[in-house]
Amino acid sequence: MIEKITDPEKLRHWGGKIELYWVYTSGKAGDLFFKKLKADGKFLAAKCKKCCWIYFPPRIYCPKDFSETEYLEVSGEGRVRAFTVARLDPYEKELKKPEIYALIDIDGTNGSIIHLLGEVNAEEVSIGMRVKPVLKPKEQMLGDLTDILYFKPI
Amino acid sequence: MEVEVIKGLKFQKKQDVAIVGAGMTSFKRRLNETGRELNYYAVRQALEEAGLTIDDVEIVVLGSAPDAFDGVHMKEEYLSDGAGGFDRPYMRYFVGGGTAVFAPIAGYFHVASGLADVCLVVCEEKMSSCHPHPQSAFKYIWDFFLDRPLKPNLIWIFALEMRRYMHVNNVKHEDIALVSVKNKANALDHPCSHVAEKITVEDVLNSEPMALPVRRLDVSPPSDGAAALVMVAAHKARHLTDEPVWVTGVGWSLDTTWWTNRDLYYPRYAAESAKMAYKMAHITDPRKQIDVVEPYDPFDYKELHHLEGLGFAKKGEAPILTKEGVTQRDGDLPVCPSGGLLGVGNPISAAMGVKACEIYWQLSYRAGKRQVAKEVSTGLCQAWGDLMQISTVMIMSNKR
Repeated sequence: MIEKITDPEKLRHWGGKIELYWVYTSGKAGDLFFKKLKADGKFLAAKCKKCCWIYFPPRIYCPKDFSETEYLEVSGEGRVRAFTVARLDPYEKELKKPEIYALIDIDGTNGSIIHLLGEVNAEEVSIGMRVKPVLKPKEQMLGDLTDILYFKPI
Repeated sequence: MEVEVIKGLKFQKKQDVAIVGAGMTSFKRRLNETGRELNYYAVRQALEEAGLTIDDVEIVVLGSAPDAFDGVHMKEEYLSDGAGGFDRPYMRYFVGGGTAVFAPIAGYFHVASGLADVCLVVCEEKMSSCHPHPQSAFKYIWDFFLDRPLKPNLIWIFALEMRRYMHVNNVKHEDIALVSVKNKANALDHPCSHVAEKITVEDVLNSEPMALPVRRLDVSPPSDGAAALVMVAAHKARHLTDEPVWVTGVGWSLDTTWWTNRDLYYPRYAAESAKMAYKMAHITDPRKQIDVVEPYDPFDYKELHHLEGLGFAKKGEAPILTKEGVTQRDGDLPVCPSGGLLGVGNPISAAMGVKACEIYWQLSYRAGKRQVAKEVSTGLCQAWGDLMQISTVMIMSNKR
């Protein structure tokens, strides 16, 4: 018979941690995107020079045909394609206020972004709803995705 | 008569495999580009050289070493976008540093088996993301009871191996340092180099001690980079180029990960992997039949160690070849004409750019300033990795 042990620390054991951290670069297209957002509050997309597919967020290449792309400015507004309402935190505690996560198709592009919805109740959200980004006050911007606080209905 | 059994050779090839294009990015300590962007640069260059577009690619092999470097778990998924990895079969292969030659081996069996006629092989590593140092990730590859309590690191393990090699073969550090001097000088001619420089044996011997006998200039740097290769079936190669380079043999082998069960002075895993590749490529005397070699050289002594394991020199005699200039770019057996990991840089799996890609460029006479002086028809590249006990070998020829 195999002895039943429910607490692994009852066995001879050795604790360990993987102590690493990372410094990520946002890359060529990422740099331009976030710098533009921080400096001007504007959004960049990139259009494939061959198939004209418009990527949002922008990329330096078209992953479908490996052609170069060119940058263009877009409004950042869009439509909700799908959404979910998160009610529990990672420790399964109820959130004070449910968080609405949406997949948003960005106007004038073939791309989309996942972000929070704000200034709206979960019951009022619908697929196809028009939304626009709400940015942090300029002096608080970091040049990353959290510079967009959330998207709100237009 | 006793028939020698060579493991891993039950395979019947359906079609011959040629390499028709290669590409690589600069190797640098830190590149701003994301791993996806690096892949794109390398892939685009390889496709252009092959005269193909991404639509022609039927299957994609990605090689990348630990996720801990890029800091993206299951990074092959993240990287697929820049590697042409969707809308077609895509698979990551990973044997640590050995991936630099194992990824092309995987590409080879995808085509040789008849599964695909055009295979794109992409290798990427972005080591600079990992902190406090890329080396820190290696702390966690050891046995957690027997090794980790002593806080080992790779340099320490290599120092034991280098010491053992020097002791058993009566080799001096100055003889080993010649490898670093040669490779860093060769790398001056490589447009992608990270640490190319003109140095002397004294510079190596006086460089910062790390874990003696290993000193700073005995070691390759951690780099960021990507590389790509296009491998095609014979009937495709005919239409694409007059100078295809054929893969004539592949081999790989692992030794035990128990340090205590290995005598570190001789790389048995390299010998076993070479045996498999030599049998497939009908090579009986590598020193005579192979014209140019790119053995894995993350440390200067490793080039010597591997040359002996691969049968280019008797045990303890690779330093003599080096001293006599045989392994120089204009020598009789050019070794690491690219500048290798010691000179061009060491982005683990993306070292494919100075191993498999370099042999392809040498055999297709596309190596430019790095082209070796002698006439070449057959070359060998080799990589080494996992827990320092795997060797991967590929033999190529410009004659079918």
